[in-house]
Amino acid sequence: MLQFVANGLCKGAGYALVATGFGLIYTTTGVFHIAHGAVYTIAAYVLYCAFSLLKLPLMLSIGLALTCAAGLGILIELIIYRPLDRKKASGVVLMISSLGVYIVLINLIAMFMGNETKIPRPGIETTMTFGGIILTRIQAIQLLTSAIVIGMYWLFLSRHSIGKLCRAVADDSTLASVLGVRVEGTRLVAFAVGSLLAATGAVLVALDVGMDPHVGFPAVLVAAVACIIGGLRRFIAPALGGLLLGMIQSLVVWQTSAKWESAVTFALLVVFLLFRPEGLLQVRRRAKE
Amino acid sequence: MNYIFHILITVGIYTMLGLSLNLIVGYGGMLTLCHAAFYGIGAYVSALLAVNVGFHFVWCLIIAAVVTAIVAYSISIPTIRLQGDFFVLATLGFQMIVFSILNNCTELTRGPYGILGIPRPSFFGFTISTPGLFLTLTLVGVSLVCFAMKLLTHSPYARTLQGVRDDEVAASALGKNVVKFKRSAFVIGATIASCAGVLYAAYTRYIDPTSFTLDESVFILCVVIIGGAGNLRGPIVGAIILVLLPELLRFLKIPDAVAANARQVLYGLLLVGMMRFRPQGIAGKYAFD
Repeated sequence: MLQFVANGLCKGAGYALVATGFGLIYTTTGVFHIAHGAVYTIAAYVLYCAFSLLKLPLMLSIGLALTCAAGLGILIELIIYRPLDRKKASGVVLMISSLGVYIVLINLIAMFMGNETKIPRPGIETTMTFGGIILTRIQAIQLLTSAIVIGMYWLFLSRHSIGKLCRAVADDSTLASVLGVRVEGTRLVAFAVGSLLAATGAVLVALDVGMDPHVGFPAVLVAAVACIIGGLRRFIAPALGGLLLGMIQSLVVWQTSAKWESAVTFALLVVFLLFRPEGLLQVRRRAKE
Repeated sequence: MNYIFHILITVGIYTMLGLSLNLIVGYGGMLTLCHAAFYGIGAYVSALLAVNVGFHFVWCLIIAAVVTAIVAYSISIPTIRLQGDFFVLATLGFQMIVFSILNNCTELTRGPYGILGIPRPSFFGFTISTPGLFLTLTLVGVSLVCFAMKLLTHSPYARTLQGVRDDEVAASALGKNVVKFKRSAFVIGATIASCAGVLYAAYTRYIDPTSFTLDESVFILCVVIIGGAGNLRGPIVGAIILVLLPELLRFLKIPDAVAANARQVLYGLLLVGMMRFRPQGIAGKYAFD
C-alpha cells in the first residue's frame, strides 16, 4: 500500500510540473495550450539528441532541453497566439490553432526521429529503500526536483515582481493594462515559465521511461485534468491536482489493472466538471458563463 | 477501378460524418472532440449484432442508431450546460472513455483484436459484394443524409438553433429552451455519425478500436473546419479535399515511412492557417470568432 502511494507520488510529481505550467499559461493568457504537449515532447527529444546522439554531458543536455522548450513556448506565442489575440479571437479558436500547432510539431518530430520509443539511459536503475518503500534512484530524483522546482515557482509568483504581474494579468488583463502592466510581455513570461516547467517534467520522465513522439498529448491532457481537479484560480492548485491524480492512478492500477488508467482519469474529469468545476482549492468562481 | 471506388466510398463516409458534425459545430456552435466515439459506437453495435446474433443490415442500422442516440442523450445531460473550453474538454474525456472501453472490454469487443468477418449487407436476397455496388449503397446513404440535412437546416428548428449559437441569452430571453435545442442537435448529429459507422463496418468487414481514436475525432473536425461550417457545402468540400489530398501526396513519391506524418503536418498547417486567415473555412458560412 505505502509502496503504491510512493509510486503514485513520483508519478504525480511529474504530472504536477506539467500541470502547473499548463495552469500558469491557461490562467494568465486564457489559451488552452494543447501545444504544451509538443513543447513537452520536444524537450524530451532535445535531451535525447544532445545526451545520447551528441554525447554531451547530462547537465548540459538538460540545460539545452530547458532552453529549447522555453524558446519554443515563446515562439508559439509570438507566431500563433499573439496575432489571434490581437484579433480578439475566442478561446475555441485559440484551442483549435493550438491543436494544429501540436499536430504539426509532433509529426515533424516523428518524420525526423521515427515513431519508435527512444531511451536516453538504458540499463537498470539502482534502487534505494526508505523504511520499507523501494524507490529507484531516478524516482527519488523526480520527487526531489519537482519539490524544489515547484517551491521555486511558488516563490517566483508570490515574491518576485514579474510573478506578481503574472497573477495580476491572470486576474484581469484589461485592468492590468490600464494600470500600465505590459500585458503582452507578461504573457511571454508566462509562456516561458510554463514551458520550462513542462520541460522539467519531460526531462525527468524521459530519463526514467524514455519517449516516443506521442508522449506529449497524454501529458497535456493529464495536466488539463489536474488543473480542473486542483482548481484554476490559485497557481499552486494544479500541482496538488497532479499529485492527487498520480496517486489515484496508481491506486487504480493496484486495484484493477493498468488498462483502466486513462478511463478513470477522464471519468474523474467529467465528475469534477459537473459537480465541482471550480476545483478543490477554489470556491469563488463557477465554470465560465 | 476498385481504387477509385474505394476513395469515393471513403469520401462518402466522411461526407456523412462531416455533415453530422456540422450540425453540432456549425449550426449548434458546440465544438466537440468525441465524434469518432459515436462513429465507433455505431460501427461496434452493428458489427456485434451482425456477427453474434446474425441480424439483417437494416436492423443493425436501426438498433445502432437508437443505441447511439441514447448514449448521446445521456452524455448531453451533464455536458451540454458547460461552456467553451470546458465543454470541449468534457467531450474529449468522453472520447477517451469510449476508446478505453472499446480497447479494454475484451469480453465484449475483443479489444485490440477487433471484430472480423462482418457480413456484407444484402437486400431482398441480393448481396452487396463488389466495391461498385457498395459505392451505390454509400451514395444512397449520402444522398439521404444530404436530403435530411437540407430539410432540417431550412426548417425553423435550424434557424432557432443558429440563434442559440449566436446569442444564447437573447434566444432564451425570447422564450427558447436553449438547452433543449443544443441537446437535440447533439443527439441528431451523433445518430447520423453512428449510421456512417454502420456503413464503415459493413464496408471494411473488419473493425478495431484504432479507427475510432481521438485522432479520428480531430480529423472529422478538420473536415468541418477546413471545408467550412454552417452550411451544407462546407463539409462536403472538406471531405473531398481531406480524403483526396493524401492520395495526391502518394504521387509525389514520399517514402511510406513519413507519408502518414507528412499528411498530418499538412492537416495541422491547414488548421492553423484556416483559424488565422479564414475562420469560416473554404466554403463555409459560420466563422468561429
